[in-house]
Amino acid sequence: MKDLKHLIYFENLLQEAKNELVDQAIKEGNHPLGYNCYYIPETLLNLPGCFSSRLRAPRCTSTDVANYYMTQRNCPYARSILERAVEGGYNYLEALFGAEACSTMERMEEHFALYNPVKNDKFFTTIIDPPMKGDDTNLEYYKVQLKEKVLKPLKKNLGVDISEKALKAAIKDHNDIAKIITEIGEFRKLDNPPITGYEFHVIQLVSEVCPHYLIKPYLEETLAEIKKRKPEPEFPFRARLVVAGSEIDDPDFTKLIESCGAMVVADRYCFGSFPSREQIEIKKGEKAFDAICRHYLETNQCARFMDGEKIDQRTAEIMKLYKDFKADGVIYEQMKFCEFWSYEKVLAGNILANQYKVPVCTIEKEYMLGSMGQLRTRFQAFVESLEIKAIGG
Amino acid sequence: MEFVLKAILKVVKIALILFVVTFGIYMNNLENKLIFYVIRPLLNKHYDSQVRDRRV
Amino acid sequence: MNFSEFTDILVAPIDKALQRYDPIWLAENGKGGQRTRYNDKNGIEKYREWRGTKDTLRDYVAWLKNVGSMGQMVASAPVACLKGFWEYRWMGSYLGTFIFINRLFEGYRGEELKIANMHMHAITSSLTKKIAFVLKNDKRLGGGPDSDNIIPYDETLPPLYLMGFPGLTPVPLQTLPEFIICDIDQHIEPYYIDVAESMGLPADVCSRCSAETGVAIDDAFPIMGRGMLSSNMPCNASEATSSFQRRRIGLPDFPVTLAMQHQEEEGKDFSEQVLKDSMKFIEDIYGVKYDWNELFKYAKLMNEQNEIEMEKWDIFATPYSPLNGISETLYKLYEWQSVNGAEPMFNEVDRKVIKIMRDCVDKKYEAFGGKTRHRAFLWGPSAVYYTDFPTWAQNCWGINVVLNMDSTMGYNHIDTEDPVKAMRDLTEFSQRSCMRHHAVGGWDNINAVWDWAKRFNCDMIICNDNVACKGMNGVHAALEEQAAEYGMHWVWLEHDLEDSRTVSRQDMRKCINDYMSVVLGEEPLDATIVEFDDSEGY
Repeated sequence: MKDLKHLIYFENLLQEAKNELVDQAIKEGNHPLGYNCYYIPETLLNLPGCFSSRLRAPRCTSTDVANYYMTQRNCPYARSILERAVEGGYNYLEALFGAEACSTMERMEEHFALYNPVKNDKFFTTIIDPPMKGDDTNLEYYKVQLKEKVLKPLKKNLGVDISEKALKAAIKDHNDIAKIITEIGEFRKLDNPPITGYEFHVIQLVSEVCPHYLIKPYLEETLAEIKKRKPEPEFPFRARLVVAGSEIDDPDFTKLIESCGAMVVADRYCFGSFPSREQIEIKKGEKAFDAICRHYLETNQCARFMDGEKIDQRTAEIMKLYKDFKADGVIYEQMKFCEFWSYEKVLAGNILANQYKVPVCTIEKEYMLGSMGQLRTRFQAFVESLEIKAIGG
Repeated sequence: MEFVLKAILKVVKIALILFVVTFGIYMNNLENKLIFYVIRPLLNKHYDSQVRDRRV
Repeated sequence: MNFSEFTDILVAPIDKALQRYDPIWLAENGKGGQRTRYNDKNGIEKYREWRGTKDTLRDYVAWLKNVGSMGQMVASAPVACLKGFWEYRWMGSYLGTFIFINRLFEGYRGEELKIANMHMHAITSSLTKKIAFVLKNDKRLGGGPDSDNIIPYDETLPPLYLMGFPGLTPVPLQTLPEFIICDIDQHIEPYYIDVAESMGLPADVCSRCSAETGVAIDDAFPIMGRGMLSSNMPCNASEATSSFQRRRIGLPDFPVTLAMQHQEEEGKDFSEQVLKDSMKFIEDIYGVKYDWNELFKYAKLMNEQNEIEMEKWDIFATPYSPLNGISETLYKLYEWQSVNGAEPMFNEVDRKVIKIMRDCVDKKYEAFGGKTRHRAFLWGPSAVYYTDFPTWAQNCWGINVVLNMDSTMGYNHIDTEDPVKAMRDLTEFSQRSCMRHHAVGGWDNINAVWDWAKRFNCDMIICNDNVACKGMNGVHAALEEQAAEYGMHWVWLEHDLEDSRTVSRQDMRKCINDYMSVVLGEEPLDATIVEFDDSEGY
């Protein structure tokens, strides 16, 4: 396939948290707001005059300082973020909105308040207590948390407009971006898609780390380009996979899978598009803020949810993606030391394999792609097993 | 009177025997030795041979 | 001269003649010590500890009483007990109870031994009744009359609020097959951990939850009740393992997800609503209406326990407390987390114990022969497989563990007249659960250690460093830096909660040995227990 016009530009935007579009938005007077987790609705951080910046630590090579603070026995994503903060990589931020979604994340975010690694006079941190079930009691609590720890501080500390009108504008901004990404992502359903999983991963990531209003024109142009893009004469991969898991923010991981012969057709992981790029609908009589909270609680598929409905929803969503995107198998990824995904990987992996007879490969990885050789061997073996299965009918 | 005395003596005798036996067990840690060296190894053999419905 | 002094004179010649069997005398005189009477590795005592005539007889009577409780358990449900031993691997481990008790109270004498034995008998008596009740009604073993009237709940959820359901009995689901049994036998949970890991669970998750998962996968949970209450307490891994338990146990499940940030008013509102929702769940599933008067009955008992507890805390702050170390920790953990006001027997024990404690303050009685050198606060969740660690610390280095983090669980008064107020009080109370209220919800909760240590006049903090506890790992440097600022002795005690293979008991002892000998340059009280191999023992 012909290279996408903006792919290299997008890749470059992913080399630093503070990329050129972030710079530009700050110069234009917008408030940069950091977050780590889907429990913090990106939409609320894209109120007029603000932009969201989902924190990554690209090209992180060592976490020595973070190891001192949090030991080496903790999630490498969290440690890498803390390390990057200590290095000064997030000095552009005016706030970090955290979530006590897992202990490690909470402890990491707490260090932003305890040690002030972000050298920015305006900077502040809040941490919400996120819900663990999808019922009304938890929804109400979610609303209270987001109001008290996101909206009110935004207004009080940064003078952000949090009116109904502003929230509706933020929803529109979300829906516009989501529509473009979803449309691009839908191409992956085709038998011979005009886009690779790697390219999609890059596109999805830039939509999460760049100011929406600045990245949107590039995304629109890319969508138009893909619509006309001629795929390879034949589907160039030997299998199609759904990837599920935790914080996968390195597109090279997707590239690694694809280099082993399997296209990543659906991305159900933190930083992926399932969930994150669904349309937010304001129901009749519903306030914009309530709609945002409801949407994020309904679509959230964090392995942390404990109630039966949400647990079943996680498996059902994977099965839906597996069918809709005509996948041949599922890779369950788990970041080392992640309690939730350690369990989810075993639970869902077993349910999928034994109950639904879906081929599953479960892997554990570091944040930065270190042991590529081991993972490559696993993926190659998995792709081969899928091929053998296909031959066997 | 003699009967009562005999009965008391018998009770004391039994109590004394019981005390000697149980205190002997207690002081020599006999019950724990029996459990550790005999009963648990037998039970473990049984547990190891169990076929359990092991699944997620 | 009182009776006790009179008997002291009577037994003095016997004590003198037999003192060569007393490990404390042996250690003092460089002729041996506690470890002398043990078989190496398997930790089986050649003979029980000679504590002097009076204390040995006291301990013997306590042993007899515990044997009696066990006999009662078997007699009350002989078939069920036999079936239980046959069916469940974890039941076999309960046979190690007496070895466990011996380990716990090594070196205990006088008033501290008296209290320790009272505490232990209360636990044994309650636990054996619970085991018999569970086995008798375990549907897997044939069931019983109360099979459907049991509410299985997550063991970290304080059951007091469930006492308002007349005719229903709350039973902690994991306590028998996983938690308490790990106290007794360090080798049982590794079996279940291996079962979980054989399914792909990584070895770096919290071993307690890994063991629970293994019990679920191995199909070794007793089956009882009509619906269960899981919980998000204490932390992430417990939340995650509940999805396995829910699946294997197969009962309708209500996750009681109390606020993590429980100190905030919004968090309390939320937790209160969650508790109400769970009560509604039980009402719907069991068809039993909640009865506040029934609840108040037990809340009064709980209030009394907590009132006594507050008085105990005042005494803990003095050098004259005969209650400390594992005698305090284990009893408090069981009394609060498992009994939670439901068994009046514990109130009776508390009343007797506080009397002894008051007397000790009057007499200026110093426990452990006044050999305590350091007063330590034990912070963070403790290693379950090394329950007798505080006993060892006292015997070996004179470190008296005054209090433990988990002894600071919910101590607020619960209103016993107004259901609205009571509900709020129960919320506050329930949120302050074991391994939880200081370990989650932000830095201030964990950083509270300094206030606790000061309150009890401690000069040392031993911080449990569970290698798999992500939350505690996350504040390592922050705590160390605080310790340096406050000038307090701070010792990390590395362990792996329920997996003694990762960090053995000797590895744990080494953490303390190194600090005491290298940093403080102190000599051990008993050289035989500085380093020894108990890897094969229960």
